[in-house]
Amino acid sequence: MRGIYYQFKNIRRDKMCILSFLLPIIAGIAINLLSGVSLSTLGETAFGIVQNDLTEEMVNWLEQKGSVMIYEDAKGLQRAVIDPATQMIGAVRDGDTIRTILSGDELQLYKTIGDNIPLLFEERQAINAVAIQVSPAPSDSLWIKSLLIVITMVTAMFMGCTFNAMNIIGEKEDGILFINEILPMTQKDYVFQKIFLGLVGGVLSTIATALVCIKIEFEQLIPLLLLIILSAFISALIGMYIGLFSSGLMVGIVYIKLIMIFFIAPPIFFYLMIPAGSIGRTLSYLLPSSATFYGLMDLVNGSRQSISVYLAILLIHCVALLLIYFITGYRKKKVYGV
Amino acid sequence: MEYSFISLLKKDFKMMLSSKFLLLIVASLILYSLYINLVYIKIDQDIYPVYLLDPEESIQNASSQIIRVDNIKELQSRTSDGYAVGIDATGLEPEIIMVSSGLDSMDNIRTAYAYSLLSPGQSTPAEVIGQNSKEMKNRREITSEFLFFELAAVGFLGLASALFKEKHMGVIRVHGVMPVSKSLFIFSKLVLFLLTDLAFAFLLTIINLGLEKGISVLPAVLVQTILLSLIMALLGFLCAVRLPDFKQFSLLYLVLAIFITTPVFLVGQTSITWNWVNYNPMYHLFMAIKNAYFGMPTDEPIYYIVCVVSIVSLFMLAYKALTHEMAKEG
Repeated sequence: MRGIYYQFKNIRRDKMCILSFLLPIIAGIAINLLSGVSLSTLGETAFGIVQNDLTEEMVNWLEQKGSVMIYEDAKGLQRAVIDPATQMIGAVRDGDTIRTILSGDELQLYKTIGDNIPLLFEERQAINAVAIQVSPAPSDSLWIKSLLIVITMVTAMFMGCTFNAMNIIGEKEDGILFINEILPMTQKDYVFQKIFLGLVGGVLSTIATALVCIKIEFEQLIPLLLLIILSAFISALIGMYIGLFSSGLMVGIVYIKLIMIFFIAPPIFFYLMIPAGSIGRTLSYLLPSSATFYGLMDLVNGSRQSISVYLAILLIHCVALLLIYFITGYRKKKVYGV
Repeated sequence: MEYSFISLLKKDFKMMLSSKFLLLIVASLILYSLYINLVYIKIDQDIYPVYLLDPEESIQNASSQIIRVDNIKELQSRTSDGYAVGIDATGLEPEIIMVSSGLDSMDNIRTAYAYSLLSPGQSTPAEVIGQNSKEMKNRREITSEFLFFELAAVGFLGLASALFKEKHMGVIRVHGVMPVSKSLFIFSKLVLFLLTDLAFAFLLTIINLGLEKGISVLPAVLVQTILLSLIMALLGFLCAVRLPDFKQFSLLYLVLAIFITTPVFLVGQTSITWNWVNYNPMYHLFMAIKNAYFGMPTDEPIYYIVCVVSIVSLFMLAYKALTHEMAKEG
């Protein structure tokens, strides 16, 4: 216990470190403050029209189908359609029908919609006669917002890793590692203390972010807590690995950057691209953050069917990484030890 | 003077090699290029799949886009994702079944599209007015994003960490008594990091845009690279000289860079509009790089004036900070 006390004393003066744990919380608050309106435009089809060109009926019809931006002249509309940042479909009048303009770089979805708009407009009367049965969406939160929240939370968990790595690299550069060798402290104690620090920091930061960002129901509390603790533990452990293998600050930054990208980017990609239940999904569990990511995404969206699977996968990762750490750690000590 | 500048350059290059900065650059280049070519250019979003339950084949002229299913269970499970649309044609009139996507306008298009597939009607295809295919757009878009992130985050850290190491080694103190001008000290670092950044921008562009398209945008891209690289390197220099606990700051910076650049990317690359992002100088720097990649370089003189003024004033600040540091070190 005394060791942990000293470790805490060590980082207490480190304002930057405390700040880096606070950063995800600030980002969480910022995401919460983002109005849903500006984010919802991402999912909507955007139409661009020229002032006084379409009939009122056409404009009303387009407004039911997406957001409509009005431009002063055809030049302005063309510029907006070509703008690579948007997926805008330009709509101009062609007698009694609508003609559409695309820039040719749109996603398949918007290209198909753009190609079909004239037909859909022609069929506008017929569709009114059709019976439509719409079940409400399972959750009212926007997917892009849940995605941002989960990314922030995974980043918050990752802070434990970066903190530990930087901490150990700093100790290596300052020569404290050699002092540690002669202190009456086993490697197990050392690892335990370091992981504990990273874990506590990561868990606190993630929980605070979670409190800010998501409405947690009582029965979700325990799965969420377990998910956070296990993931923060893994991330703190990965930080130990980086500390073990990197010789200097710059190399440490290289490793942290690479691992940060691997930690955050692939799960998002797998989540969006690979359907649940496929072999690809199963393979993606080789990356611990995938399980964290899917689990958080489920919890944010209010479902918790497969949460026990995610927890089990994280637990396996914890044990495996810890074992490998001790094995490689001892070997390294044998090589360099006197 | 010339000789001392060359030896300064040599020393800085050795520092760069020993800090494995070049390794970091090459690793990033490989990682980014792999990501762009294997993943990013393939990202697409297909139109809503439409499933039809029609065991008696009462609908004859349905489009070939429609996927037929065998029973109502399958229809319901296939359309439970809030994206796909189902049509139940077992009754007298076909009925559209779906789970809401959360946006009314999107639900409206989904129903209209699904309904249009039931009849063989043809639509006049849209007129295409742009020059880029989707793949080329993706390549330009993501390459500009990576170049910007690399220059803003890693370029900054590269110079700062090299200088921080020198500070620890006492190089600044030694320089205080050497007959070498202080601006040369800053200059040699700037030149070296500028050259690596230019080489990085060149390779990243050629690898990911292809030779022909790459070369046509390179002049404009390199101009923006020079501006951004100088600004970030001078900022890194200032931070490393002034901040006492730079090590922890570097970590903070990496995260800060992600949080600062995310809104910039969101506004720059998607249809989201936030007016406050105009106050973020990073947004203008990013848009300049992006426009360069899309062959429409920024031609507003005010942008270039602001860039040059900030580079000059940052240089003066760095010079002052270095003088102050040398005086402090004795």
